Amino acid sequence: MEFRPRSYGADHDSHVLPSVPTDNHPLAAPSISDIQVDAVDLGNHEFLDPLRGLDGDAKAIPFDHEIPSEAASYPPTKEWTSFRRLLQQRFPVSKMVSLSSVPEVMMRSGKSIEKSSTSMHIEELDDPQKFSDDEVKVIAWQEYVSRLHELKDEIAHSWLVDDRITSLKLSVKVAKLLMDTSILQFYPTLFFLVTDIMDMLGDLVWQRIKQKAEFSTDGTLLCNLPENFRAADICSDAKETCNNWFSKIGAVRELLPRVYLELAILPCWRFLLDEPLDSLKRLVMMARGLGDPVAFAYCHLYMAHCAQKLPSLDIGCLFTCLNDIRVILIRILSPNETIYGDKKKLFISLMEPTIEYVMNCIFKGMSQMQISDVLPELGLRKNQQSSGSVTYVSVVLHHLLKELPIEVIFSNTIEILHLIECSKDKSYDQHMNYRLLGFRLNERRCSYDIAKAVIDKIIQVVEQYDGLHEYLKVVDAYADLILQNRMDNLLNTILEGISRRACKGVTEDEMLSLQNLLMKLLSHFTRLEYVFVLNHFPEILDVTHGSTRNVVFMHILDMATRNCRIRHPTTIQMLFEISQTLHDDMEFMNVKEDNSHVSRLISRFVHMVDYGADLERHLAFLVDCRGAFSRLDELKETLVHSSNYLAIQALTSKKHLNLVKSCVTFSEITVPSICAQRRQFDLLLETAEVSLLGGLFSHSGELIDSAIDCLQSSDIMDGYRTQADVGGLVSSITKLCGLLVMVPGNFSQGFTYFPSKLFSVISSQSWIEPKLRIRTFSAIILLLTTLSQDKLPYHANKEVLGNDTLYYGNLSYKQELVSLANLILQNLVNVIQQEPLLAARGTMALEACNSIASSFKISDEVLAVCVSLFETAKSCLDARDRYLQSTIQFVEKQLPASARASLMSSI
Amino acid sequence: MSIELKLSRSNRIYRPSETLDGKIIVKTQSPISHNGVLVTIKGSVNLQVRGGSAGVIESYYGIIKPIRIVKRTVGVGSSGKIGPGTTEIPFSVILRQPDKDLERFHETFHGSNINIQYMINADITRGYLYKSLSTSMEFIVESDRVDLLQRPISPEMVTFYITQDTQRHALLHELKSGGFRVTGKVCTQCSLSDPISGELTVEASAVPIDSIDLHLFRVESILFGEKIAAETTLIHTTQIADGDICRNLTLPIHVILPRLLTCPTILAGPFSIEFKMSIVISFKSEFAKSQTKVDPRTPRLWLAMETLPLELVRTK
Repeated sequence: MEFRPRSYGADHDSHVLPSVPTDNHPLAAPSISDIQVDAVDLGNHEFLDPLRGLDGDAKAIPFDHEIPSEAASYPPTKEWTSFRRLLQQRFPVSKMVSLSSVPEVMMRSGKSIEKSSTSMHIEELDDPQKFSDDEVKVIAWQEYVSRLHELKDEIAHSWLVDDRITSLKLSVKVAKLLMDTSILQFYPTLFFLVTDIMDMLGDLVWQRIKQKAEFSTDGTLLCNLPENFRAADICSDAKETCNNWFSKIGAVRELLPRVYLELAILPCWRFLLDEPLDSLKRLVMMARGLGDPVAFAYCHLYMAHCAQKLPSLDIGCLFTCLNDIRVILIRILSPNETIYGDKKKLFISLMEPTIEYVMNCIFKGMSQMQISDVLPELGLRKNQQSSGSVTYVSVVLHHLLKELPIEVIFSNTIEILHLIECSKDKSYDQHMNYRLLGFRLNERRCSYDIAKAVIDKIIQVVEQYDGLHEYLKVVDAYADLILQNRMDNLLNTILEGISRRACKGVTEDEMLSLQNLLMKLLSHFTRLEYVFVLNHFPEILDVTHGSTRNVVFMHILDMATRNCRIRHPTTIQMLFEISQTLHDDMEFMNVKEDNSHVSRLISRFVHMVDYGADLERHLAFLVDCRGAFSRLDELKETLVHSSNYLAIQALTSKKHLNLVKSCVTFSEITVPSICAQRRQFDLLLETAEVSLLGGLFSHSGELIDSAIDCLQSSDIMDGYRTQADVGGLVSSITKLCGLLVMVPGNFSQGFTYFPSKLFSVISSQSWIEPKLRIRTFSAIILLLTTLSQDKLPYHANKEVLGNDTLYYGNLSYKQELVSLANLILQNLVNVIQQEPLLAARGTMALEACNSIASSFKISDEVLAVCVSLFETAKSCLDARDRYLQSTIQFVEKQLPASARASLMSSI
Repeated sequence: MSIELKLSRSNRIYRPSETLDGKIIVKTQSPISHNGVLVTIKGSVNLQVRGGSAGVIESYYGIIKPIRIVKRTVGVGSSGKIGPGTTEIPFSVILRQPDKDLERFHETFHGSNINIQYMINADITRGYLYKSLSTSMEFIVESDRVDLLQRPISPEMVTFYITQDTQRHALLHELKSGGFRVTGKVCTQCSLSDPISGELTVEASAVPIDSIDLHLFRVESILFGEKIAAETTLIHTTQIADGDICRNLTLPIHVILPRLLTCPTILAGPFSIEFKMSIVISFKSEFAKSQTKVDPRTPRLWLAMETLPLELVRTK
């Protein structure tokens, strides 16, 4: 057997893919003409590009503001239901509800329905008796709710059987339930249950009258009512029915059910009048008669809901609603008022959502023009001395601020500040209004003058606050404004204010606000140095603790390592300390993700550190890191990479051979502490290469030795049994073989010490799959072939002599190579048979055949191996398989003409 | 064999100057011979005195002779035969003959002591051997348009004040000492088709308010010999305020009149039908809780009230 002489340069040239220079970078942004082409495509195929669909999406966003004119039968349920869900979340219901009295309608007997009208009348006279009972009754709310659902069904059912009077009577009873506000927490839930029924009744009545208007009594179609029909289009019969409904509801004695029921059928006024708004106005006024604040507020909520069913929304009515709620709130809040006692807070929290909804309705349908008209009513009159003429309640003001269009906020900022200043009461914390204004101002870029004026005022305000909590809440909202406008001295003032208030201790809540603020600060500045020089910043950083500190620290690390290398020693020191804190805290972090994030950040930091020419210092830093961050495996890899990088730098500057040695030693010591054997293998190879380049042969020899030892431990592949991982290991082993080309053979160990060791490890380890084994064997054969050449294709550098120089013409050297190759060849065929998958077995046989054919001169002995491999391949693969064909051709080419015929006959 | 009346208007409302049109529907399986078909309209005011201001004896003999408004019989067919199946006999009767009917055609009204009712009868007489076929039906009379009040309803409203000093009955001590003042205005002449409207403001009240209600009363008076027997009935209650409402917020008064229980105010010689309303403020009080049944007319310690006359008119 004899190795083939090979010409690697010529082989490379003949096999390399043809390459053509290009004008454009393939990943650069496409030119305009390309986009146009794409756009056309987009239209044709309706292909949705998630990255480019933005302008298309904008059109698709529906405008909630447009209320369909035919709202009566299609109420704006979406908003209403989401509002309902929100409210039910805010006021969860306990299991039991205590009522001041259990209304008769809640009793499960159906007797009440059968009572004659006279007894009903007497009952009405008896009414006060209902409330004479002071006893509080308790009822399971599940039962209450299910009874209401039953009632709803009963109402719908009696409507269906044309017993509309019963439907109405039951509806009145249901509406009466809302008169009892003693249930408080349960009231919002009850409200929605009841209004559901009211809405249903309203729809039924609407449909009935509409039907009367469209069809005659015998069912013939009279006309189809257009959506915007006029009262004149309605026949007198339908009008009569409609009038009847209003009279029946008008005859209800109690105010609250009367108002709710009329609201429910409010849209029906359109059958009688072209302008039904007067009725709404009257109802708004009538609702003032409800003395209970909660009942009052929720009645107005229903009013706002029903008002939207009218074809034209009247803002004036809603304003009156809001104003009346405000008056009630002022009354609750007045210190002289004692009747509400300790329930004031609960009342206000129950009423707040109604304010929110009404406010939302007001601004939803308003045009720019209308808004400027209502501004004076809101107390936002320009240049007016007595802008205090409108007394706001802070909770109302809060929702006003939420809803005001951003233009209005910008053009009236000072007036708004004044309003906030004037409204300080218990219904809502004043500082939260300041905070809200700050957030609103962030919605759009505002001019420096406005920002300056606002922030000056805000600084004055917050200076008065003693507590850190309020201070932070307000300052947090204005931080962006300050940063954008580069008001550095104001920033200092704020930081000073925080650190002064924080020294007394920071609560959990405050910590969160502080975290927000610090994050804003950090995100604003591009460079960490600017942040560190801010006055009071370090002090503030010192008071943080717990997760806040970790989040901020992580952010700082992220910032520091994002773009450029870290060179400044103090910055490095600071970041090192930060990393150390994070590292020490890691065991307290429960979330695995956080842990790996921290470890990534620290590794990245170590990677980005750069001491420039001071390589010793850098190495010392790496040593420190290894000591400080013992828990991070990922970091150790970075340390090895960094130290290897240092060694290479030292080599290029050619004067620090000692340093190279230190670096390699550092790596040598560090690698074994890494848990994963697989990582160790790669790192050992890397270090071996570096030490080889540095001429440290004993080091490189030992390193390669330990790398091969790594393969002996089976856990190198533990949990990595996927195809890609096998592939990864194969390429690492190939890399080892490539490295071995440069490593000078050792006479005392035998020239083929490393390849034979690799061969014996790979053949002896039972866990190694046939595939990996074959590839390794092929790689070793190719390595041996290379080593047998008179001139090696590459060398480490000029100082390190290759085997071609050392053992030129040495027969025992060649002998050793051939004998090892022989040994491998013998094993090869057997190993292939172990592969269980047919297709894989065939491919592997061909691969092996290729490497044999390119390594040896084809003697009979070699040919026999090739033939047996071909047979294996043919038994596993299709005869027309292209790989098979080309391999046969390749082997044929190597043969003399006479031998070819015998090959063809044998396969 | 059945007989049925069907009027030309489904709501059966007619005015005195109009003709009452309709048809008699006879359904029979065998032919009937008859002596004639007659239609009679009758209208009368029925008065009775019960309790009230009348004495015991009078109430015992409480029925007073009805006042006849109209009675007219018209033949709509001479004697003949009605064939089997359904036969419709149309008719048309003038309600009021200006030269003959002198009595005023009051509007239909059903009260507790006074009833003004109009009936139409249809009779098919069949000789002595057979029972005559007959049926009757009530129809409703509303005032003629020409008779309606020519002047418009006065838009003026009556202003009222309710304070601790305007009350003629005893009040709770705390009401007397703390004081209260409720003002407002309300129309005292009102069209039957419109609601009673007005407004009300609680200006001050030291004691929390429980409720403010407007009660509507009907007063039926009958001249009975030398005496007048009057009966006041509560016909409607509307709550205006529920609970202790905000001071100085103006509340609307808006009361839809109950159609079946009202009619235009009548001041006839032998009888009269009048209306009044009463605004009652109930204050929160321990006494009120213990009281189970309350007649709104009875002055109580925790109530303040103001009663105003109300003239109801029919407008075009």
